[in-house]
Amino acid sequence: MHSYIENVIKISILLALILSVNFLNSQENSKTDLLSVEIKNTAIHYKSYNNFYKSASFFLEEKWDSTLVYAMRHINTSINDSIMLNYAHYFRGFGFEQKKVFDQAQKEFNLISSEFEFYFLVKKRLGVIALEKNEFKNAISYLEPLTKLKDSQYAYLSKSSIFQNLGLCYNHLGEFQKAEAYLVMNVKVNEKRKDTLNLITAYGSIANLYYEQYKDDLAIPYFEKAYQLSKSIKNFEAKRITTINMAVVEENRKDYVKALKYRKEYEQWKDSLNDQNKIYEVAQIEKEFAVKQKQQEVNLLQVENRAKIKERNGLLYSALTLLILLGLTFYFYKEKIKTNKLIVSQKEKLDELNATKDKLFSIVSHDLRSSVNALKVSNGKLLENLEEKNLEALDGMLQNNSAIVNGAYNLLDNLLHWALLQTKQSYFEIDSIRLYFIIEQMAYNYKPLMQEKGIRFENTILKKDIVWADQESLKIILRNLLDNAIKFSENGDFIKVYSESKNDRYCNLIVEDSGLGMTKQKQEELLKDTTVLSKKENEDIIGTGLGLQLCKSMIKKNKGIFSIDSELGKGTKMIVSLPKIALNG
Amino acid sequence: MDNVNVLIVEDTPEESNALIKTLKSNNYNIVEVATTFKDALQAFYRNKVDIVVIDIFLNGNPDGISFAETISLNPKDSKPFVFLTSSTDRNIFERAKLTQPFSYLMKPFNELEILYALEMALEKFYAQADAFLGDEENTIISDEYLFIKKGKSLKKVLITDIIYIEVEEKYCNIITENEKFVILISLTKILKLLDPSVFSRTHRNYIVNMLKIVEIVPTDNLIILSGNHKAVLSDTYKDILKKLRTLK
Repeated sequence: MHSYIENVIKISILLALILSVNFLNSQENSKTDLLSVEIKNTAIHYKSYNNFYKSASFFLEEKWDSTLVYAMRHINTSINDSIMLNYAHYFRGFGFEQKKVFDQAQKEFNLISSEFEFYFLVKKRLGVIALEKNEFKNAISYLEPLTKLKDSQYAYLSKSSIFQNLGLCYNHLGEFQKAEAYLVMNVKVNEKRKDTLNLITAYGSIANLYYEQYKDDLAIPYFEKAYQLSKSIKNFEAKRITTINMAVVEENRKDYVKALKYRKEYEQWKDSLNDQNKIYEVAQIEKEFAVKQKQQEVNLLQVENRAKIKERNGLLYSALTLLILLGLTFYFYKEKIKTNKLIVSQKEKLDELNATKDKLFSIVSHDLRSSVNALKVSNGKLLENLEEKNLEALDGMLQNNSAIVNGAYNLLDNLLHWALLQTKQSYFEIDSIRLYFIIEQMAYNYKPLMQEKGIRFENTILKKDIVWADQESLKIILRNLLDNAIKFSENGDFIKVYSESKNDRYCNLIVEDSGLGMTKQKQEELLKDTTVLSKKENEDIIGTGLGLQLCKSMIKKNKGIFSIDSELGKGTKMIVSLPKIALNG
Repeated sequence: MDNVNVLIVEDTPEESNALIKTLKSNNYNIVEVATTFKDALQAFYRNKVDIVVIDIFLNGNPDGISFAETISLNPKDSKPFVFLTSSTDRNIFERAKLTQPFSYLMKPFNELEILYALEMALEKFYAQADAFLGDEENTIISDEYLFIKKGKSLKKVLITDIIYIEVEEKYCNIITENEKFVILISLTKILKLLDPSVFSRTHRNYIVNMLKIVEIVPTDNLIILSGNHKAVLSDTYKDILKKLRTLK
């Protein structure tokens, strides 16, 4: 019977022990936070030492393998800073401890010099390791000095855990009095701090201690206290342990009803724990499932996205193509409109030209008919006079005939050149021309006529005056200008041909007469860039306006400028500006 | 001074007659009138021609251009010429233009136009621009002749007939066996264009035909030329004596 109880106790102690170690870790969390801050500051201080900094960072992130590697690297470098070295060894020792490689951990902790700021923590680690390895005496030797630390140092480690662990050590060694002393102190510390979970552990430990010594009266109140306290917390593990302890106690007291009740409660907590674990597992699975589903959704969305992008790109391209097509259509449409406009304007021009041509036709044929008719009548008279042998009249009539023919010839000549100019069939070459000679040559034909009409002619152009023009067209221009000058001059008038050089590029050739002159309106009409021929004003003077139109076109073709300076009744200046030098283009 | 010899290539008798009349009245000598391409070539090589007047269209074909092309083939035999045409057809002109130097005259034309065209043709052919048509000069020098503008007309003088030339500022007195006359030409130009192996300068104002030298009197600085003409030999130009020796 007794041995049974003993067994149960042993089990419960074992449970309690595991519990205490678990608590120990959880309890230290708040304490280690301070240490973390300290380590962080140190790491930042030594930031330039890459390996050290990394090892510290990994230590804080609880990545033990990396911590071990970088701390080792730092130790292997020749940097001989004792602070960093101590930290590095501490990191390695802690790392090994976490990985349950206790021998290595001990080695590392032992390498830390006693000057290390947190040397008491090293001692604690060594104590814990010794406890883990069931080297209780060793553990005591490490832990016992830690009971008398300064308050500032207790900020980094929990006093309660020291007492708890020392109590456990002595308990294992069977030194119950010492164990009792430490455990009672632990209880006091925890009661003072109102740390329920630790208090439950402390009550459990001390209850176990008494129970092992068969001091049931002392033990049971602690068990009950632990049990009552466990009701107020949510930790299933603590509830389970306190309940089973109570169940064992009641069983030993042969109060099976109560024992059964505790057992059932115990089962319940165990189930709860299991349930909790199960729920946790299920939650985990659900989470994984959810994650998977999410992932699937994400994948689906990605695929959808890709499809959408494809669709969008397709749309974009088609839109672009459409836009280009639209642009092209618009462009061609505009071009067509432009062409249409051009065609319309050309048609208008063509119609105008045609109308001009028709008008020209009618005027020219009218003039020619009158000339030929006059010639016919004159020839009839000539024949009559010849029969009558009236030889004196013949001379005058022949001269009259010749004048009529000359006029008609000039008209036909202009007509021919007009036609040639329109069809651009004629030879045209700009060359240097001596103005004086060409004017002499052109005036030569009009000398008899001028003499007859009593017109004085003067050519005062210098022999060295040169213009760049096409010889034949210049001749036509001069013929027409002289013809006009003579036509509008009367007996006693003069015709002067002279040149002016206004600038380096142009030479002004001026044909001046003191004849009839014309109004400003008439001048403007003549200079207008229109092919429509003006109606004749002066019926006695033969002319179509074709001569002047031809002059204007020819001057333009020779890159010259034509202007008129005239006053009605005083005379006219016809001014032709021609290039003095060869112009390009 | 002699008249200038003109060959007329023209197939229309009315036009050639009118042309002959005009030219004759201006002291030109008409050597012959040819009416076909073949006749024209024969006439050209048979006569001593100074200038040719060519109608482009002979019997409806532009044979006139072919004739001009033929006589221009050998530069030694070629002579100045003037094209006559009543057509301004561009294609014909483009072809005619290829015969260089190119001068043309549109029908109908008056006296002044044909005379001007002949003078232009000579100026262009001998590349002596403004020789007739400017105010500064009136003479063109070819290998054989001096062509001199007198009034509206032209005259020519055989260069080998010249005994000596006396320069007076812008003028040159030309002395031949039979006549003495004045031309307008610059000394530099005349020296450049006369054959230097025949004509030498003997004085600032004298150019002498070496072949006409009868006697040299160095002590008096005098050169006696044929026809008892006398020219001055200045010290600066006594080098010509050496030249003379080689001539003898």
